[in-house]
Order: sequence, then C-alpha cells, then structure tokens
Amino acid sequence: MIGRRPRHRIVDVHAHLGPYSLFFIPEPDAATMVAVMDRTGTDVTVLSANRAIQQDAHLGNSQSLAAVDAYPDRIAAYAVINPWQEPERELERLASDERFVGIKVHPSLHRYPVTGARYAPVWEFAESTGCPVLSHSEHLSPYDAPVLFQAVAERYPGTSVVLGHAGITPAGVDEAIEAARRYDSLWLEVCGSQMTGPLIRSMVDQVGSGRVLFGSDFPFIDQRMSLGRVVCAPLTESQRQDVLSGNARKLFRWRPLPGEQGLTND
Amino acid sequence: MSDVTGGWFDARIVTGAHPAALVPATDREAIAAHLDRYALSGALVSAMASWLHDPIGGNAEASAIAHDLADRGVLACWTAVPATSGELDSLTALVDRAVDDGVAAFRIHPASHGYSPALLDELYDALQTNRLPLCVDSAELAWPDLTTIATRYPELPIIVSNLGYRKLRELWAALTGHPNVFVDLVDFAAHQGVEWLAAHGLADRLLFATGLGVRDPGESVVRLAWSGLDDATVRLVGAENARRLLQGVRA
Repeated sequence: MIGRRPRHRIVDVHAHLGPYSLFFIPEPDAATMVAVMDRTGTDVTVLSANRAIQQDAHLGNSQSLAAVDAYPDRIAAYAVINPWQEPERELERLASDERFVGIKVHPSLHRYPVTGARYAPVWEFAESTGCPVLSHSEHLSPYDAPVLFQAVAERYPGTSVVLGHAGITPAGVDEAIEAARRYDSLWLEVCGSQMTGPLIRSMVDQVGSGRVLFGSDFPFIDQRMSLGRVVCAPLTESQRQDVLSGNARKLFRWRPLPGEQGLTND
Repeated sequence: MSDVTGGWFDARIVTGAHPAALVPATDREAIAAHLDRYALSGALVSAMASWLHDPIGGNAEASAIAHDLADRGVLACWTAVPATSGELDSLTALVDRAVDDGVAAFRIHPASHGYSPALLDELYDALQTNRLPLCVDSAELAWPDLTTIATRYPELPIIVSNLGYRKLRELWAALTGHPNVFVDLVDFAAHQGVEWLAAHGLADRLLFATGLGVRDPGESVVRLAWSGLDDATVRLVGAENARRLLQGVRA
C-alpha cells in the first residue's frame, strides 16, 4: 500500500499559478498550492503565473513575485519572457530582482520559434549568468519541437535549457532524449498528459538520471498526476530521488532555491 | 483495514496491447501483479481489442481475464455497438449473454466506432433493467448526448472516464443535473478537482480507477492516496462507491 504520506522530498520545477481561460481550475491560488505541496512532500515549487504565459508577462510576473513574498520558503519564481512583450524590460527586471530564479518561455503559446532572433537576448542572458531556462517543448511544433533546441544548444552551449514536458508525446519524448543525449546543456522535465513511468525510465536510461527533472504543471494539472508517474516508475530509489529533487538542486545554482544554499559548479 | 490506501477497487483496466503508447503490460500476470502492488480488492476489465479492433469479439478477452482472476475480484466490462447485420443481431440478447457471463458493466465508444449514441437506446434500456452501469470516455460522447441518455434513463448509472483537466465546467453541469452520472479517476487531472467535488457533496459520484493499459496507474493511485480527502471519503471513493454501483464487487 502506498499510504497517505509521501516518502520523498520533492522540488517541482514546472508549475503555474492562477486561473486559465480555457478551462476552470479550482483553487489555483498560492495558498492552496502550498497546501497540496504539504500533502505531497514538496519542499519547493518554481512557478510562472498563468497570466504571464497566457496574456501579460509583466503583470503575470508580478503575480509570481507576490506568491514568492507570501511563501518565500516554499515558492520561487520564473520570469516569463514573451518575445512580443518588451523582453529586454523583463530581462532587466529579472536581473535586478533576486526573487526570480529562472526564465520561462512558452514559444508555442507566443507563436515564435526558439531559434528566432527575438529569443536571442534570453539565451545570451542565460549563458552569461547561469540562469536556467524552462521552455515548453512540443513534438512537431514549429516553435518548440525538441529538435529545435539542438540549434539553441549548439549556439549557446553554456545555457541550461529545460525541455518542459520533454516533447509531450511519446514520439516527442524520443526526440527530446535524442537532443539531450547530444547536448549536455539540455535537461528533460517529465510532466505531460501522455507521460508514463516507462517513458520516464527511458529518459533515465538514455540520458542518465542526472538531467531528468520532476515537474507537474500544477495547478494547470493536478500535481499528483505527474508525481504518481515518477513515484511509481520503474526506477531505482537513487534515480527517483535524483529526478524528484536532487537534480533541481543542482540546476538552480545561479540563485539557489529556498531550503539550501545551492551547489557549487564543482 | 487501518490503512485506507488498501482494498480499493480499480474500476477501469484495459487488457491487451496498446498500439501507440509506452504503458505497462496488461496480460493476466501483469493485472495480478497490479492488484498485488497496490493492494487492490478487484478490478473491472475491458478489452483493448474491443476498442481498437473487434468491438464484440474482443469481449471474450475481457471475460477470459475476469474468469482467470475471479478469485481476485476481477470483473468483466463488455463493449457494445449498434445492432448491425453481420456484426450484432440484438443488443438485448448481448446484454442477456453478458448477465449470464457475470459481466458487471458495459462500455461504448461512439466516436471511435463511428456511430450515433442514439442508436443504442435498446442497450441503455437493457442495462437499466439489469442494473448494469454504462461506461464511456469523455472524448467518445458529446456532453449533450450524455445529457440526453442520463435524462431518458434516470436509473442507468453512467460512468464518465478519461476526463482530462479541461472539462470541469461540463462535468459540473452533468453531475449536478443528473444523479445517475459518475466520474472515475482515470486521467481525472484537474487541479484539486477531487477535493472540489467532495467539498460540494459529490464524493459519492467518484470512483477510483487507474486506466491500466491506457494510462499510468501511478497517476490515480497517488492522486487519491495523497489527496486532501479525509480517510472516510478515501474509502468511499476507493471502493465503496464501486461496491454500490457494480454487481459482484466484493466487500
């Protein structure tokens, strides 16, 4: 029996906040998210507000910071950079506000390819600072198919890019694995409605457990869906702990997550 | 049982190979191992072949699993299509055969199998008469069609599965408008959706189910085990609702 209490410590590197127009989300607020985290053993969640990805990056980023202010020991924020909404302004804000620990981009929603010139400041900033970037990735998308990130990795080898959803579909996962095998700067994140434990095992087997990250997309989707796939996946306990939190603690070195001082580059 | 995460009834397993997903195996041994791993009291099993190959012929595969694992509380769920010359003579006769075989529920796939759900009135009537629930994936049936069936057959339990995370507005209307509509936890992915329904007095409409064969079972297991529901409600969703709805579910 699985029991009602989790046994692992968890860092969730892919989360959101707030309502979303396409469907109703019950209780998408930070307080409820922290209550869910308490039930699932999640120490820290790194989020970007739905408003920031869906409609207004600047206002949404302010919502993310408000959540950090409310729960500084539990929540950290990505700055969403929308290539159509003054990306330099938001990058300056990110640089000067230590409550942001990373960048989130959503090329499919913003209909602009990761290889486009408007994203160049993002990759340059990330490479120069060590700031990690979480991007949506989606198989066959003209904007963020996993294969496109190989060009980013080739041009900006010092930029750590997390392929959110690892391509989403089973075929997309294979493509994301291939990209991550070729480029050490690419990381794979496991949330997605078509993800399964065997697919996660495939990532770990082929990329190694050191660059596979737990994320859930909550409250877009309930956190326990993605978490259940990892908790029950055919992994060793060491691999599982890497995925659930160990790798996140390694990735977020530029501005360490709450609860630790970060790891050195060594 | 002191640990409320044991003894659940898995209200949806699909036996047979999936042609387009990397999911755990679902043969007899795998299902038995699944029951063991999660300390389940039983399961309702339909056949992948009925969905993706031979709707009526595939039912034998579901029944074979149910018969082999009867001592583990496994029950069969058969699939129906409209009566069509050369494929199926009579829906009433199909339901009669199912009752004789100990089948606990029926599943329909109107979208995948290419027919209007209005062609199954004979099935709904026979199921209602025999107190057999109707199971259907949310993508297989338009919500207005669900409303029509639920209204015309108010004593027919309808279990909606594979809801995803984008359908709470439709689900709310269906559940509050029709006491005979239920939803299982297969890909019931809306954030706090389980807790939200329970807070509105609808926990008795939720059934634990993993979708082994089409989904990763860890989703539903962790979703319910680490939910915000109290222990009594976890028991209700985990097994008691299924016991109330499905004939043959063991105490």
